Amino acid sequence: MERLLKEKDAQYIKDLFEKKLEGEVTLTLFIETKGPNVTKFNEQYLPYTEEIVKEVAELSPKIKMNIYTDDFEKEKEYNIKTVSALFIEGNKTNKNIVYYGIPSGHEFSSLLEDIVDVSRGKTELPEDIKGKVQKISSSIEILVFVTPTCPYCPRAVRTAHQFALENPNIKGVMVEANEFPEWSEKYNVYAVPKVVINEGKGEFEGALPEDAFLEAIYDAIGIKLV
Amino acid sequence: MDELFSIHEVKEEIPVDLNEIYDTVIIGGGPAGLTAAIYAGRFRLKALLFEKLAIGGQIAVSELIENYPGFPDGISGSELIELFKKQALKFGTKVLLTDVRKIEKIGDIFYVETEYGRVRSWTIIFATGADPAKLPVPEEEKFRGRGISYCATCDAAFFKDKTVAVVGGGDTALHDALTLSKFAEKVIVVHRRKELRATKILQEACFSNAKISFELEYIPIHVLDEKKVEGLEIENVITKEHKVLKVDGVFVAIGEKPNTELVKGLVEMDERGFIKTNEKMETLVSGLYAVGDARSTPLRQVITACGDAAIAASEVDKYIKNLG
Repeated sequence: MERLLKEKDAQYIKDLFEKKLEGEVTLTLFIETKGPNVTKFNEQYLPYTEEIVKEVAELSPKIKMNIYTDDFEKEKEYNIKTVSALFIEGNKTNKNIVYYGIPSGHEFSSLLEDIVDVSRGKTELPEDIKGKVQKISSSIEILVFVTPTCPYCPRAVRTAHQFALENPNIKGVMVEANEFPEWSEKYNVYAVPKVVINEGKGEFEGALPEDAFLEAIYDAIGIKLV
Repeated sequence: MDELFSIHEVKEEIPVDLNEIYDTVIIGGGPAGLTAAIYAGRFRLKALLFEKLAIGGQIAVSELIENYPGFPDGISGSELIELFKKQALKFGTKVLLTDVRKIEKIGDIFYVETEYGRVRSWTIIFATGADPAKLPVPEEEKFRGRGISYCATCDAAFFKDKTVAVVGGGDTALHDALTLSKFAEKVIVVHRRKELRATKILQEACFSNAKISFELEYIPIHVLDEKKVEGLEIENVITKEHKVLKVDGVFVAIGEKPNTELVKGLVEMDERGFIKTNEKMETLVSGLYAVGDARSTPLRQVITACGDAAIAASEVDKYIKNLG
């Protein structure tokens, strides 16, 4: 395959990583080559997802990569819902920062920013928001449905992933809607970003500021935010 | 596929200095705000830019901009914005992705409330732009995000091989119709007048597109039905006759609503909420300048927004010098 990253972009990312990365980050990607789980959409996008993960991993010695192909044992361990699943892992993560589908277009920036945050083990969320995120003790799963052409979507993806990094009880999951039409249909996704909390206990459309996003999570689990 | 992995924006780590009094705080990261940032940087002003959602504002979702000089083959909104942003950062203006909650002026100083704390500044360049106006039907809230959409670039892919309506007759509406025609089987443009307001060249592109048809002199009345969008009921503005278009989605491009809540009561506005300024972009509050789509202006384009911002930044420079 031809390289996906242009040389000047690769250089930019390399510099960014050199400046910002601290601890080690692992990109863990699950792909399947056969079987009923593989859709025509996966077939179309998976080779590109694999390639971009490889190219990004090359840009810093601090980035490691694990690509599991048809490894159903590992899939169980990571509790993946479907292919392709990409986990950004570091010291502070709990298999809870996830991308389903290709992180391309506007979401490519989310991936880079996530790598930086995970490597440093901290986010730039304001302190009061961090405190409120860390208080959550029940399990939360946040799905953020996106399309690569949506400029408002990274804000929602990043907020979910930042919350996840601040609290291991929270799982932040990006879902590329084009690649998972059935999943999108299940939650009536016709516009992005769409956020679904705990399988529909809470949901909203659009990118909200962090405090409103957090309020939606508190609402979904029935806790009043004070 | 390669352009899917070019860099749009990576959030830079920038601490806000709460002890500093900035020369200017720019609110809004669209073409106007970014131009103000470029000029402010070159004037060596201590400047901060706040953007609440995504750098680029409304233009970021524009698939192709063909009327901004210097790009004879057109350029996508996100690419153009990336260039603007690069230029702004090059000249040293700091860009932060967060919303502004409140603006207050006490004495000569503006206090700008953000989640990072209260930022102080001698001046404000208010470039918050506008959002798409809502579809005036009772079902708007029910179906927003469930078949009613305000972003064709974002959501077109959900309507592959389906039929959609586009409401509106301006440049945005026809751009949306063209974008949608790449996915949908059929696109019906609904517009209240006989004549479209859009630039002639866009009209020609739509007229010659076999997937695009028109319902002129019609206004939307209801979005049907129970669980998901199944139709759009429209009314003829002259005969008052009603009919139902069978559509799976409704895209809305019927003008703009200014994002001017923050300065309501502070500055003078026109009846639609756009901020009135003089030719120097000054508002009634000294040190507060309004530029771009948020301003009461006869034309809302990238190039006019940039022009406004250049004037405002240069006025800010003079204002700061006069503070002595």
